[in-house]
Order: sequence, then structure tokens, then C-alpha cells
Amino acid sequence: MDDSQARKFQKDLNAGLVALVLLAVLERSPEDLYGYEIAKRLQKVNEGEALFKEGTIYPVLRTLAAGGLLTSRVVPSYSGPPRRYYRITDEGRSLLAQWSGIWRQTRGFVDRFIEGTDL
Amino acid sequence: MSANAARSIDDYLKQLRAALEGQDPALIQDALYDAEEYLRAEVAAHPGKSEADVLELIASTYGAPEEVAAAYRDTEAKVKAALKTPVPAAAAGASGWKRFFGVYLDPRTYTSIFYMLLALATGILYFTIVVTGLSLSFGFAVLIIGIPFFLAFIGITRVIALGEGRLLEAVTGERMPRRPVHPGPPAGWLKRIGEMLADARTWTTLLYMLLMLPLGIVYFTVAVTGLAVGLAFSSLPVLVLARWLGWANVTFSDDLHIGFWTVSEYSMVSALFLGALGVLILTLLMHAARGIGRGHAHLAKALLVVPG
Repeated sequence: MDDSQARKFQKDLNAGLVALVLLAVLERSPEDLYGYEIAKRLQKVNEGEALFKEGTIYPVLRTLAAGGLLTSRVVPSYSGPPRRYYRITDEGRSLLAQWSGIWRQTRGFVDRFIEGTDL
Repeated sequence: MSANAARSIDDYLKQLRAALEGQDPALIQDALYDAEEYLRAEVAAHPGKSEADVLELIASTYGAPEEVAAAYRDTEAKVKAALKTPVPAAAAGASGWKRFFGVYLDPRTYTSIFYMLLALATGILYFTIVVTGLSLSFGFAVLIIGIPFFLAFIGITRVIALGEGRLLEAVTGERMPRRPVHPGPPAGWLKRIGEMLADARTWTTLLYMLLMLPLGIVYFTVAVTGLAVGLAFSSLPVLVLARWLGWANVTFSDDLHIGFWTVSEYSMVSALFLGALGVLILTLLMHAARGIGRGHAHLAKALLVVPG
């Protein structure tokens, strides 16, 4: 099996998961975070081979904010351009709870086949 | 990856821009802003390393330009599909009548009329800001405050360009940037001013803001005239019917002159004729508004986004 098939599979999986992970990160965080900070938190967790590239989270953050799942505010920064800080909304929280349920269900379902316990 | 690994932030941004070739200019601006913000923060977070060393790791953390470009393209396609206003059923049907009157079902029609009415106010505001800002910049040029004043003035025009884009996207659905132009690396004031003066977009933005005054006057006049005449005429049959039935004591104070034809005492026939004319005028206004909204969004994109 070549590498590109593995990458494509990972990319297909990530399509919905990036949004779920971002919502979870922002839900756990006591303070508002900006894009670079979020990217660094993800990097810290997946040491070694990253599951997804940090460049892919920015468009997703923006989509979530446009959908009302996150709110954002712009804060001027001394070291560069203003930063956009994100915070999860109540709507985002309830969606996260729902998605987490779906994710656990999916994971359990897939695992049962992969580990072959039910076949 | 075919391209050589980027050795500097500018290199990386150039490669990303090349990878996004053919995409909407507003999307390209957003993607470049995000990347530049990340890369500058990453370089600043590693003060001991050179820019080239930091950039070497970028492909495995932020992603190679091709990967990042693909992520923006995918997200854009998904968001567009989700946010797209459903095309009114009438537009799909081929019948000419349905298509002519289907304009009433299109929400963009009403938002465009709102924009046309608003354009007079924003046009006056933008024109005043540009004229005041430019003349004070020239006046202050010999003084020390001339430099910060000019920077603040151009900064304000960029914020306005972003805001105008957001408004136009809401009104017409045309994709506009969600991020401003990245100001680039920190630099001295004089260098900043030099960059601003050399940037074609600075000048096209000022041109757009000046153009908004005459355009705003035209849009406002067309919208108000069309609405007033169309609504007045199309309500005539109702008023004449109310008078005829004795429900209301309506008197028409003025004779109406249309060409050689003068209407002084409104009969039901003339009222119906004028009512139909009113509906025609209103419907034409609706079409004009939708067209103006679309055309204006393209103008805004050409002047506020593309030159970057």
C-alpha cells in the first residue's frame, strides 16, 4: 500500500473530525484562544506524526464562527497584526455534546469489527 | 511535493498563492492572511532560530502550500453549498412570466434595495473621509504628525474596505474577504508608508470610496423614485375602489399628466391601467436592484480585493 492512499483515508476521516476537535479544545479551555495557540495545543498532544496539518484548522475555525458555534473578538497585539480570539457559544456546546455522542457510537461500532469480537 | 521547500515567509506565501491560482481572490486573501499570521508567530516563538530553520519544519506542522491550499478549497466548497440561498423555484421554470415576477421571491432583491438606499449615506461618509484624510495628509506632511496621521488614515480605509466587503457579501452573496490585508513584518514608519504608497490597492480603495458618492446618489435616487412611483400607482385601484364603495373619502388633489394624457377624475378603468403600470415599474425596479447589487459587488471586488 502506498502512502498516498493512507493520506487520502486520513483526509476523508478528518473532514468532520477537525471541527469536533476544535470545539472540544475551545470547550475545555478556560480562556479564549487564537488560531496559533489552538494549533500549538494540538501539536503538543500529537507529538510525532500530526494527524492533521495546522494550516487546515484556520478555514474550519472561520466556518464554525460563521455558523454561530464560536464567537470571536479581535485584540490588538504588540508583536504583530491583531489576533482573533475564539470562544465557544452555547449552541457550539450543545452541538459538541451531540457530536461527541455520535463519535463514541461510531468508534465503538468500528472497533467491534476491527477487533473482530462480534463476528 | 514538487516545489522547493520555502526558505522564507515570503517564499512560502508566494508558493501558497501559486497553489491557490484560479480561486476566488477573496479566498486567496483569507488564506494568505492566516498563513502569514501563523508563520510570523512561529518565527517569533523561536527567537534563537533563523527564519529558514523555522520554515524547514513548517511543511510538517502547518502543512505544505499544496496541502493548505487543498484545505481552503474543500472548506470553501462545503461552506458555499451550505450557505447558498436556494434558488426560487420560479427561476428554474422556463416560463417568461414566472421568471419576470420570480424576482419578488428572491431575498437578494430586497437586500439590494436596502443597499441602494444605504449607499447615499455610506457614499457621503466615504467621500468625506477620503477628501479630509488626503488633504490633511498633505497638510501635515511637513510636520512630524504627518506620518502617523497618514498611516492611521490608510488603516481606516482598509478597515472600511473590509466592512464594505462584509456588507456586500451579506447583500449580494458575492464572496468577499473575511480577513484584512496582512500588514506584513513589523517595520519602520517610513518603510510602511513607502509600502502603502507602492501598493496599488491603496489607490484603488481610495478610488472606490470616492466613486461611492456619485454611485450612492444614483442608487438612492433610482430606489426612492422607483419605490414611490411604483407603490403610488399600484395602490390606485384599491383607493378608487374604496371610494367607489364608499369606504373612504379619497380625494386626489392633483391631475396626473402622462405625456399628452391627463387624468383628473380617476375612473376604475384608468386606475386599473395605472395600477398595472405601477406593478410593472415596481417589478422593473426589483430587477434593476438585483442587477445593480450584483454589478456593484463586482466593482467592489475589482477595486477592493483583486489589486492585492
